[in-house]
Amino acid sequence: MKGFRNHGLIGSVCSFAAAVTLAAAVTPIVILLVQAGGVLDFGFLVGTPSRFAAQAGVGPALAGTLWLTLLTAALACPVGVGAAVYFAEYAPRTRAVQAIESAVSNLAGVPPLVFGVTGLALYVRGLGLGPTVLAGGLTLAMLALPTVVVTSKEAIRQVPAGVRAAAYALGATRWEVLRRQVLPAAAPGILTGVTLALARTAGAAAPLLVIGAASFITYAPATPGDLLVALPTQVFAWSARSQPGFAALAAAAGVVLLALLLVLHLASLALRRRLAGAAR
Amino acid sequence: MTADGSSLKPPQAARPVSAGPPASAFEGTGTASRALSERIARRFFQVCAMLAALAAAAVIATLASESALFFMEVSPVRFLTELAWTPLAEEPRFGILPLLAATAQITAGAAVVAFPLGLLTAVYLEYYSDPRAARILTAAVIVLAAVPTVVYGYVALNFVTPALRNVWPSLEAYNGISACLVVGVMILPTVTLLSRSALQAVPPSLTDAGLALGASSARVLLRGILPAASGGIAAALALAVARAAGETMIVTLAAGNQPGLTWSPLEGLRTLTAYIAQASMGDAPSGTMEYRAFFAVASVLFVITYAVHALGRWLAGGRSRRRDAAARARPATAGARR
Repeated sequence: MKGFRNHGLIGSVCSFAAAVTLAAAVTPIVILLVQAGGVLDFGFLVGTPSRFAAQAGVGPALAGTLWLTLLTAALACPVGVGAAVYFAEYAPRTRAVQAIESAVSNLAGVPPLVFGVTGLALYVRGLGLGPTVLAGGLTLAMLALPTVVVTSKEAIRQVPAGVRAAAYALGATRWEVLRRQVLPAAAPGILTGVTLALARTAGAAAPLLVIGAASFITYAPATPGDLLVALPTQVFAWSARSQPGFAALAAAAGVVLLALLLVLHLASLALRRRLAGAAR
Repeated sequence: MTADGSSLKPPQAARPVSAGPPASAFEGTGTASRALSERIARRFFQVCAMLAALAAAAVIATLASESALFFMEVSPVRFLTELAWTPLAEEPRFGILPLLAATAQITAGAAVVAFPLGLLTAVYLEYYSDPRAARILTAAVIVLAAVPTVVYGYVALNFVTPALRNVWPSLEAYNGISACLVVGVMILPTVTLLSRSALQAVPPSLTDAGLALGASSARVLLRGILPAASGGIAAALALAVARAAGETMIVTLAAGNQPGLTWSPLEGLRTLTAYIAQASMGDAPSGTMEYRAFFAVASVLFVITYAVHALGRWLAGGRSRRRDAAARARPATAGARR
């Protein structure tokens, strides 16, 4: 028993703070659900934005966010996990390597907005992609990359040194040790990190706003070359409108976004269970 | 720390390049093919690391080059002393101070909301709650951390501001106080969860010793546990502040885009982030001062958040560094008593 038995004044103050924190955690979601109540139906999920609040839907935005999440996963995960393996297992411990490693890691603390500004210069203007889904995916991949690297590196370093020592003692090469022992043992941790990074990018509105996401497009993006629309920026666009009816639309789009993140986390949880079982 | 895998390298020259059956219990058609897959794997991971480094370099280089073009026309002195930020005006003014002041106000306000609440919640979780309550509260805090910030922006504008204006009718529709409150809630999970891990790192023997000496639980907490965890708690605060300073959607929706320098939390204001988010919606053409101004502001934001984040990571690492140093300094026999 680690806790204190008698509560006293400090215990009461802490309990009160905890109650406030719980309320702060629950309230936004309750508000969102209540305000979205009348709007959420199948028509809203497949409908397109409209000048008339009653007819509007999130179809294109939902398709856009699914595209963006897929592109981000495809671009950031292999590179991020690969880089983490290199930094954790291969990289020489020189000052130069450590400087690069900490530069990459500290980018995880840079606001998403800044990645949007660089994405605008690099992809929208530099490569001439324009405000497309592909430019958005590349920008979000840059945003996800540092988080994937940091969390994967942490997961790989948590694998006990004895596992590696035992495998080397049996004559395995470094790649065999990685593929058969280290990566399977680290897989659940890597997956957690990847999920966090993808959830963070799927909900990011600021970078997409900066690179020029549209909020009034009536067709869903069919290829990465189509114009960029996404759920978070749709929530923003509707929140910023003062006409009646649009606040409820913003809340409903927010609920759809939260539901998407929930699905992402549940899928990751299920996969993590299987991976943890396989590693044993 | 011996858990660092990189300290363990495969034995050198253990594998002579010679023909013959595989020498190990591992599959593989022969030494040559094993050596090949070894080389391919190494090269693949190296390329990944180079790509990650390249992405980091691209972010920094883009910000630096466009900002350099900006500062060729606007002197840094002007940038730091002018009292307005109006890049689109007839006679544009490029003073960063109003934006910096607004960001400082929102960040400080959010820290005032989140720091006491988060720290006390962490103490509650660690020392006062029963396991069931701790599980529920932790789950709620993790959910809170997963909510996208644009959703918080919506809540700030459509719920918090109207509620505050009921109490305080002179409050403007766009105001700093609503943004402070909601940004505070947004960084609450960061403060709570990181403070909690700082408390978890305090050895239980410290608590036991204090209580055994007859100190009250309050005294043990205030004089023993909190000072021992102070480095980690400071790290939690730094990482949360870095997030608050970079927060965009809440401040854009709740605090608006008023260009003036104001210290009143009842008025609207414009942070570094809100300026970038709002201004770029007007599609500034490349090569104009207006376009370069984004990069100057984004660079300021980058430097601030990067520095605060690095400080936080350094503070968080300090604990384990000190522990390592202590472990090295301790005579070998001291370990035997455990």
